[in-house]
Amino acid sequence: MNDVLTGLLQESVSGIALGCIYALIAFGFTLIYRATEVVNFAQGELMMVGAYVNFFFVTQFSGVLGGVNFWVYLFAFAGSIIFAILFGILLDYIINRPLKDEPVFSVIMATISLAIILRSLTAIIAGPISLVPASPFGDNTFNIGSVVISILDISIIIWTIVLMAIFYFFFNKTRWGIAMKATSTDPEAAQLMGIPIKQVYRFVWIFAALVGVIGGVLLAPRMALLDTNISYLGLKAFPAAILGGFGSIPGAVVGGIILGIIETISMGTLSFHFEWVKEINDIIVWIVLIVVLMIRPNGLFGIAKVKRV
Amino acid sequence: MKGRYDDENLKWIPVLILAIFLFPFILKGATSSYKYYLYVLNIAGIYMILTIGLDLLSGFTGLMSLGHAAFLAIGAYSSAILVDQVGIPFELSIFISPVIAGLFGLVIGFPALRIEGMYLGLTTMGFGFIVKRLIIALREWTGGSAGMPVSKATIFGFTINNDWDNYFMIYSFVIISVIIARRIVISKLGRAFMAIRDSEQAAQASGINLAKYKMLSFFISGLFAGFAGVLFAHTSHFISTDHFDILLSIYFIVMVLIGGAGSIYGAVLGTLFIVLMENLFIPLFKDGLAKYIHLEAGDFQAFIFGFIMLLFIIFQPLGLYGMWLKIRIYWKLFPFNPRRRST
Amino acid sequence: MKRYVSIIIMAALAWIRCENRVTSPGVTDTEILIGNIQDLSGPIKELGFLIPSGTNMYLDYINAQGGVHGRQIKMLIEDHGYNPQKAVVAAKKLIEKDQVFALYNVIGTSTTEAIRPILEESGVPLVAPATMSGTMSDLSRKAGHLIFHTDAGYDVQSNVLVDYILEQNANAKIGVVYQDDDYGANVLKGIAEAEERHGITIQREAYQRGATDFVGQTGNLMKGGITDVIIGGIVREPVTIMKTSQAMKYSPHFFGHAPTVDARVGLLAGDAGEGFTSCYFAYLPDSDKSGPALYRELCEKNNVPEKMRGIYHYYGFATAHILVEGLRRAEEYPTREGLINGLETLNNWESGTYPPITFNKNDHAGVEKIMLLQIQGGKQVAITGWLE
Repeated sequence: MNDVLTGLLQESVSGIALGCIYALIAFGFTLIYRATEVVNFAQGELMMVGAYVNFFFVTQFSGVLGGVNFWVYLFAFAGSIIFAILFGILLDYIINRPLKDEPVFSVIMATISLAIILRSLTAIIAGPISLVPASPFGDNTFNIGSVVISILDISIIIWTIVLMAIFYFFFNKTRWGIAMKATSTDPEAAQLMGIPIKQVYRFVWIFAALVGVIGGVLLAPRMALLDTNISYLGLKAFPAAILGGFGSIPGAVVGGIILGIIETISMGTLSFHFEWVKEINDIIVWIVLIVVLMIRPNGLFGIAKVKRV
Repeated sequence: MKGRYDDENLKWIPVLILAIFLFPFILKGATSSYKYYLYVLNIAGIYMILTIGLDLLSGFTGLMSLGHAAFLAIGAYSSAILVDQVGIPFELSIFISPVIAGLFGLVIGFPALRIEGMYLGLTTMGFGFIVKRLIIALREWTGGSAGMPVSKATIFGFTINNDWDNYFMIYSFVIISVIIARRIVISKLGRAFMAIRDSEQAAQASGINLAKYKMLSFFISGLFAGFAGVLFAHTSHFISTDHFDILLSIYFIVMVLIGGAGSIYGAVLGTLFIVLMENLFIPLFKDGLAKYIHLEAGDFQAFIFGFIMLLFIIFQPLGLYGMWLKIRIYWKLFPFNPRRRST
Repeated sequence: MKRYVSIIIMAALAWIRCENRVTSPGVTDTEILIGNIQDLSGPIKELGFLIPSGTNMYLDYINAQGGVHGRQIKMLIEDHGYNPQKAVVAAKKLIEKDQVFALYNVIGTSTTEAIRPILEESGVPLVAPATMSGTMSDLSRKAGHLIFHTDAGYDVQSNVLVDYILEQNANAKIGVVYQDDDYGANVLKGIAEAEERHGITIQREAYQRGATDFVGQTGNLMKGGITDVIIGGIVREPVTIMKTSQAMKYSPHFFGHAPTVDARVGLLAGDAGEGFTSCYFAYLPDSDKSGPALYRELCEKNNVPEKMRGIYHYYGFATAHILVEGLRRAEEYPTREGLINGLETLNNWESGTYPPITFNKNDHAGVEKIMLLQIQGGKQVAITGWLE
């Protein structure tokens, strides 16, 4: 019994760390969906770009500063964030501006093509050979009881909490945040009230790029090898966004973490004790999702919109 | 009384059908590598049948599906199992297998009664994953993830042997599908679908049974996709779960949207455009370019594909069919076109 | 308007017709065309880049010596992105449009299975498909007589690994971690055979392609009291599993299938990877046989970057030997049948890169032996001879 409990705890820690990555991607979905009702299919690719850009900065700065140390990671992180902001502005110009009066479907299509472009362009620039990302924390771990926790996982969890706290504060306490909320509720009314919705949309894309890039920076050291296929994690984060209810910030976090935990536990303890779980390992999250949606069609934290004819 | 098709110009239809069936002969006369071009056209044809069904669901009823590759897989696998293992003749299987896919459509249509919009899109995406897993789990019949070979199709003693035969079989069915779909669209059923798309509440208020018509829409869409699956299995002679990827489902919706959602011809055009571009034009373009510069083919091809798609969406957001309508109006009004505002 | 359109179409068709046709497909007096379908944009695009560049290195070497029967060998590469449908399109293009003489080194199991019907229809041989699935050399399957498989299958590898483990320790409890797709299916086939032969049960743990987290699987192996773990992964999987085990203070013996031979496993896993045993079916690039020696020499001569050298680059180099030998043994004016007959005369043939290879009418499986390599002090060392 104790054995099972330790196993479950161990898997949960790992699952939460994985779930935080999902949560960051899901949060990117949420931001854009809330403001523009567009599902951004390129969110996973934004994360991948972040991982690559961070890798690029780490190698550059370690060349300049002589060797990899704490400052290199810090500067690389700052560089990635500046890149993310510029990238968000660029995306706003490419995707959002030209299509602002077009149906939502067109914008979704644009994000799909953006995903294809980003994936191939990154591969063309970075070359086909996988990169070996460095981790600022090495392989260091510590133990609580018999549960092993890697410092990398803890740092991922802490970063996610910090980011979410910042965003929560921003959306609820600052002028721009409230303007964004207003815009997402009713763009026309917001415009009439004097909110510059063009700038709001730009902010939305910048934030989406920002969470994507930070997600990539955090995820990369967790992978032994970095290649462009990590962008498919974006597809895995869809159920997280949906589960929490598209458009809800706490929903994205809770959804991501639930999915992360389900995934690791089903791979671990569950499939150890129940042979048949192995058959449904990779779809168990989808089954949970469909069941939840059958009970709550708008996800756990989503609010049903009242429709008028 | 005005007939159903009176407001449309129908005299081009027989010419078009004739052109479709004459095309392989022209191609064969023109080039020795016609089999390659025919094969690409065959894929396009199979996907057309599916996207027509998807258009009925997404374009006309407004129900998003990101899992249509799953219906293709169900149709393909059921026909492969029915024909090769149970021993049912192919002529019968082309009726039974689509119905199986249609029934799965009902299964996924059931949650659609409660789930809406993007939530539904992602539920169907999950359905796609679940079906893929189911196929692997039923490995005694389906060969699991290693895939399974499929026999050639035989219609009334005539074996469909090669790409040449496939072309005629597939495009006959494409034409039938277009006709059926257009009849559905202008029938009571089609009008109910469109009413649901435009406003569920209004449709309900006008006495349309939402549950019934939504389920029906999924069923019909599943039928089309399952039918495409049957053709897919018996013309490619090998199927595996790798064929029916989630990316394929996304491509299907892209095909519908790039053609212009809510028009049958749009779905056909969009499918043709995407399939030809991906499998014919870009590889040939790359070959032409490779004479001058050295490049890595794979990512370059994907990049060109994405780039063309993005440009297309930005400059033609209404799709190919919308573009065609614009051109038609332009010609009708010529030379009295309203001048474009230069803002 | 319509007239112009039709004129343009006719002109275009006439232009296409102008391509010069060759009587014997893919062979001219100066050139032989070979088609290769790789994954250049999908999940294993790294291999799709490395393998053909290794092949081209050897072909350039042969061409510089005057080629085969005075003909230069030219290889065309198409992309399938690990999608069987696209593999078929690419095969059609190579065979019908580019008119290649033979296909060579098509990568992936389901992708190669998917092009079987085309091979059958057109009679084009496929030399050395780059997949280790044992089904490739099954002559009873469609187009079986056209496919010449060089690699030892995953099922063979599983069998040999289990035999070796039980030989070392008769009481070993064995676990296998497999990828949940066609790769894993073939791994499990061998595992099931071995289970039956030895009357043991082997604990199975699955992971999904592209998984990053192996805590659950490692925990299960630990709970099952497994002493010997076979990892059917590529690079990331063995590295992550060994690191996770080290963190969890669990230290069984680790073994891996042929794709894990990659030198990066040792580099990335560090001291966690010490003692990791993988298997391979060719001489290693740093061994002193004639093939590897030539490989190192050519790498130096062509300034191949260090990060490209390694097992996959070498794999392309090694399989090219079989292709070139087959072309040599085909007649002076090669036909496809000539190539098939030529390859079927290989009898315990020493390529220098592979152990002796035999093909004949009833056997299209090339190497059926593997060698075990262990990471000792960060370097791969052969610990056994050829095992069957």
